[in-house]
Amino acid sequence: MAGEDLIAKFQELGMSEQKAKETLKNANVTKNLQLALDEIKGAALADGVGMLIYHMASKLKPQVAEHLPLLVRYILERKLDNTQRVDAALDYILKSGQKLKASINVEELEKECGVGVVVTPEEIERHVQAKIKGSYKEALLEQRYHFNAFKILQDVRQELKWADAKSVKAAIDVEIFDLLGPKTEEDLKPPSKANVPKPKPETKASSVAVAAVKEETPSDGASSIAELMRTKVHFHKPGENYKTDGYVVTQNTERLLKEHLQKTGGQVHTRFPPEPNGILHVGHAKAININFGYAAAQNGVCYLRYDDTNPEKEEEKFFVAIKEMVEWLGYKPYKITYSSDNFQQLYEWAVVLIREGLAYVCHQKAEELKGFNPPPSPWRERPIEESLQLFEDMKRGKIDEGAATLRLKLTLEEGKVDPVAYRIKFIPHHRTKSAWCIYPTYDYTHCLCDSIEQITHSLCTKEFQSRRSSYYWLCNALNIYCPVQWEYGRLNMNYALVSKRKIAKLITERIVHDWDDPRLFTLTALRRRGFPPEAINNFCAQMGVTGAQIAVDPAMLEAAVRDVLNVTAPRRLVVLEPLKVTISNFPYAAPLALDVPDFPQNPQQGNHKIVLDKTIYIERSDFSQNPDKGYRRLTPKQSLGLRHAGLVISLEKVIQDPATGEILELICTSQLAEQAEKPKAFVQWVSQPVKLEVRLYEQLFKHKNPEDPNEVPGGFLSDINEQSVSIVQAYADQAISKAKVYDKFQFERIGFFSVDPDSKEQQLVFNRTVGLKEDSGKK
Amino acid sequence: MSEQLSVELNKLAELERVTVELAAQVQAANPHRNAADVQVLQDDELIKLQTENTKLKHRLAILNQAISDESGKGGSTARSFSLNDDSLSIIEHLRSVLAIAITTAFPQLSHTPVLLTPSIKFGDYQCNNAMALAKKLKDIGIGKSPRDVATELINSCPVSPRIGKLEVAGPGFINIFLNKDYGVRAITDLLRNGVKPPKVPKKRVLVDFSSPNIAKQMHVGHLRSTIIGESICRLLEFLQHDVIRINHLGDWGTQFGMLIAHLEDRFPNFLNESPPIGDLQAFYKESKKRFDEDEVFKKRAYNAVVALQGGDPNSIKAWQLICDVSRKEFKTIYDRLEINVKERGESFYQSRMLTVVDFLRKQNMLEVDDGREIMWPDESKTGIPLTIVKSDGGFTYDTSDMAAIRHRIEEELCDWLVYVVDSGQSTHFATIFKAAKRCGIFQPKVHRADHVQFGVVLGEDGKKFKTRSGDTVKLADLLDEGMKRSLEQLRSRGRDQVLTPQELLDAQEAVAYGCIKYTDLCHNRISDYVFSFDKMLDDRGNTAVYLLYTYTRICSIARNSGEDFSNLSKILETIDITLTHDKEWKLVSTLLKLHDVLVKCSRDLFLHFLCEFCYEVCTAFAEFYDSCYCIEKNKAGQIVKVNHSRILLCEATAIVLRQCFYILGLKPITKI
Repeated sequence: MAGEDLIAKFQELGMSEQKAKETLKNANVTKNLQLALDEIKGAALADGVGMLIYHMASKLKPQVAEHLPLLVRYILERKLDNTQRVDAALDYILKSGQKLKASINVEELEKECGVGVVVTPEEIERHVQAKIKGSYKEALLEQRYHFNAFKILQDVRQELKWADAKSVKAAIDVEIFDLLGPKTEEDLKPPSKANVPKPKPETKASSVAVAAVKEETPSDGASSIAELMRTKVHFHKPGENYKTDGYVVTQNTERLLKEHLQKTGGQVHTRFPPEPNGILHVGHAKAININFGYAAAQNGVCYLRYDDTNPEKEEEKFFVAIKEMVEWLGYKPYKITYSSDNFQQLYEWAVVLIREGLAYVCHQKAEELKGFNPPPSPWRERPIEESLQLFEDMKRGKIDEGAATLRLKLTLEEGKVDPVAYRIKFIPHHRTKSAWCIYPTYDYTHCLCDSIEQITHSLCTKEFQSRRSSYYWLCNALNIYCPVQWEYGRLNMNYALVSKRKIAKLITERIVHDWDDPRLFTLTALRRRGFPPEAINNFCAQMGVTGAQIAVDPAMLEAAVRDVLNVTAPRRLVVLEPLKVTISNFPYAAPLALDVPDFPQNPQQGNHKIVLDKTIYIERSDFSQNPDKGYRRLTPKQSLGLRHAGLVISLEKVIQDPATGEILELICTSQLAEQAEKPKAFVQWVSQPVKLEVRLYEQLFKHKNPEDPNEVPGGFLSDINEQSVSIVQAYADQAISKAKVYDKFQFERIGFFSVDPDSKEQQLVFNRTVGLKEDSGKK
Repeated sequence: MSEQLSVELNKLAELERVTVELAAQVQAANPHRNAADVQVLQDDELIKLQTENTKLKHRLAILNQAISDESGKGGSTARSFSLNDDSLSIIEHLRSVLAIAITTAFPQLSHTPVLLTPSIKFGDYQCNNAMALAKKLKDIGIGKSPRDVATELINSCPVSPRIGKLEVAGPGFINIFLNKDYGVRAITDLLRNGVKPPKVPKKRVLVDFSSPNIAKQMHVGHLRSTIIGESICRLLEFLQHDVIRINHLGDWGTQFGMLIAHLEDRFPNFLNESPPIGDLQAFYKESKKRFDEDEVFKKRAYNAVVALQGGDPNSIKAWQLICDVSRKEFKTIYDRLEINVKERGESFYQSRMLTVVDFLRKQNMLEVDDGREIMWPDESKTGIPLTIVKSDGGFTYDTSDMAAIRHRIEEELCDWLVYVVDSGQSTHFATIFKAAKRCGIFQPKVHRADHVQFGVVLGEDGKKFKTRSGDTVKLADLLDEGMKRSLEQLRSRGRDQVLTPQELLDAQEAVAYGCIKYTDLCHNRISDYVFSFDKMLDDRGNTAVYLLYTYTRICSIARNSGEDFSNLSKILETIDITLTHDKEWKLVSTLLKLHDVLVKCSRDLFLHFLCEFCYEVCTAFAEFYDSCYCIEKNKAGQIVKVNHSRILLCEATAIVLRQCFYILGLKPITKI
């Protein structure tokens, strides 16, 4: 049927022309509607029936599309006379969709949909009255017409499932009017603001990008992974695979799902399947959190599966590092498995596929298959026996690398024809050693390993959506349990680079020091920089599990880090650029030990001792000889308070290097704070300090997308911020000298810092994790 | 003394100064950086080599594993797989069984080839390895008698479904008796599913055969190529190869100049009216005579060649007219002999000759020699070179054969080339193959080329086969003579009284053409043979007539049983084959050798093995039929008992013979 005819037909169903045109663009709905129209056979439609048909057509899932005629008939017969009943019918049909060609139990269907159930106005009235009396009267009297009556509507319909919404609403309005009488002027005003709690102010840390994300998806995220998984994620229940979009039901589905449930006991099984050929980065953190988090929230289990099908780049150190990072994020794998454990099974399945005529050995070269519309394989229809023999030859090392592949007879969504399942590589495998020289591809391995591990939810990023059909096809071709693939959007970090190859380049170019250089966004780098794992997890939770690809600025992650460190990192006094100050009238006979709280706003969390002596060091920038207007700290005319010391100092004399004019020392007098005039500022200081090496990091790249040739035509190596690291010798009070690697502190007035593994006995090294404020790192 | 000291000290001071200077220079040259650069360079190369090395080592490990799997050492799955493979011929099967036995019993001698021969008196096959093995064992310090070795081998044989028993005999022979149950199974399968081809690696084969010349009669020399070529094609096709049959017709060359010139004179209107050339040979002789005697004509003939090769439409038309006359004659002969071949004459390679010359020139394969361009078959530049371009710029047979082999390998993608041409050409083909190898067209690892050569046909006088007048024997005449002689023979037996006219004609043709083909095929093709209708038509001995008679006799048995044996599968539902009588088993064990024979024939493309097999089957059948009643009749000639199992054996024999006849080009007839 031509488009115009269809539009006319759609309009007959009651759609506006605009709507009809839009609908036409959705191939699936259009197909359903066409089928429905064929069923209607031009019969005259009662009022509203057309739109119910549309409603049904737009919600019908493909795996139960065969039941469309039944639904149309029921709608036409007015047995399903509102959207609610149609929805109930769709649900019921989907539920029975586990069997291929399932026959629908009409009686049950009618019961589920309340066919023929009539709710009288009297019944509605009775229920409405009871509800208002029972639960809402007081609130109504108080808030009057500002009360949201929708709650009552929902409540009533809980009990009167099949009551017409309009009638219920009308009944409620009547009752409220009875109760409150006509609206007063007060009722017509907008609700006064005093009553409404102020919206929580946005955290100071949130950046523009954060706001943008939040606007688009106001409710996708949550403050923690556990909360996210409980409230925002709506995956299928184990065993109800067939209810998901696009799941392919075969004659074995029912049996396989039953067996699957027996094996898992209905428990959720997920897996985190990294390739052990590189280091994990912040994007993986999302995958780890979603897989482990979902399993944890559902009392399920999550596997750590090394997808080690490519022997070329696998190294022991990656295996270890991956496990370490998963554990660092606070997760414990249920089991650690390896795709290579299944090589024999995968191989045997490949032979089955060849025997079934679903796979063949192909000799096209890799170059031939590149690009769009590669030529079809001339080997596709070769005899099964021949493919079997050749596959055996491949396995036995008789065929050269690149001279043969095993390909699956199937076309992927994006048009890729016959994906490769096996290729020859004469490379020993990290675990299987010299046992194999044919190695399976991701496409082939992934779904089968999922099936073997009885994965309930195969969670992956959106790029793999186009592989979903091959995923289902393969499991079904082999008649094995078929998990459900769910996709979520990838997490991309601006100003960051995660490609293994490119990071390696940065290292060989000596731009960064190693994989865990704190300027990078690998997980080890984040750990070294001092990011607490819970902050990373919370950050992932804020991102949510939607399909949208998200690109965020590091600022958002840093905000999450501050939120955590603010309550976990004890305060310390440290000066990064020390300026010697001698207090000429030091009021104490000997150095004084002071007790200082670790968390000033919460003193019961503990104290540490610091020393106050005649010679102190303050931040060089806290003194100015020629201050700008508004400078609040020490000047020749302006005194300065010393934090926690109870002293206020005033300048007596500046000692300068006669040659350079550099300020070498200040001589100050002091007064006890309670006696002195209140200074404009209190600053941190140290006495009898220990020296620290402090590494101050800035963003490594100048542009948001250093890999984007439009943004950075010279390539990412040309986009390096030369001052991305600076090292200072800082002074700290001695309380810090016992800090251990990865201990985190807030240096008062400066920022959060973490002990670097480079630290030695007498020489602590600190990394700046984040500044106290978002913009503190920017120039 | 002190003077000496101060001199020494000065020297030392000077040395120190130089040292410092040099050190400074070395420093300035920035040795670090240079060293690092060299290091990096070496590293890249090194890493590449190391990777390559790893890959090779890995592949070696995999291949070693595969070898041990396939030789049955480690992989029991591979072993049982091949032993249960029914498509293997018996000899191959036994060979793998004994190979396993040798490897198992004497791992140190695991690569010893298995020596097997079919045997009649002692079991069905015999293995003769024990003696040689004992000797080799002795060489490595293990003293064992051949009989002990044989016994150990027997004990090490894996269980095989095909072997009934193994016995040590004499000094250390192993007699192998096939399992009769297996024989029953195999014959049952044969009756149910027909003859299945033995399993061999599939190839794309081009068979170049027949190849007569335009404007000349086909003679008895072409007969051999045609008959042998056709049978080779049928054999290879049955073995499931992808066979291309090519008739490399002599349809191009200088002789066409004189033919065209002569045509223009004799039939000036040939462009509009088809010239009635009745006798092309006479026409050829006329033109040849003029060519030799008339200089003006000769010149015209040369011009005509140039015009033809230049693609002049009139010349092409004349050329086609002449070719068509010959083609018609060839076709009658091919139809009579049931030959199927695709024409692809020398003219087809005209353009490819240009490209192959170009190709060879670019490869620096051609050398100028006395105005010609020649190509040596190998780098040693010995033997006879090919003449690729003549001094007048024309091409030769060498050129067209190089163009053809290139086309066959590179365009037709064949991996096996078979040229069925007489032995006189063996040097030529050896040279062509060598040259093709030298310039990279023919790769011995991938390609196989066979010159299937054959000897000449001799007359009964032992000299080259000629007519009484001394001319070469025309093939058409020979076939006519055969028809005449076969009819005479049938009449002398009174068959014309029994058979219908059609049956008689069928029998006449089957006998006539059958005997001509069979005589040609049943000798080792390399040797010459004597053409004698009297011998061919003998109904005793290994002749077509004997085979055809035996076949009809076998067919008549079922017919005479009074029962219907047309649906064998159905009969097999109720009847089991039993092999109780010795002669029954002998017949069956002979039939089972079919695969052995087919594989043997295909190995070196000798068909006389298949002829011998047919004869063996027929004699085994004769023995069986003499000693085993299939149908028992009383004195009154009424049937009292039908032995169904035996009639099934007759049918199985017929099936096997039919398959062999097909390959040999014999037409099985049910009545004669």
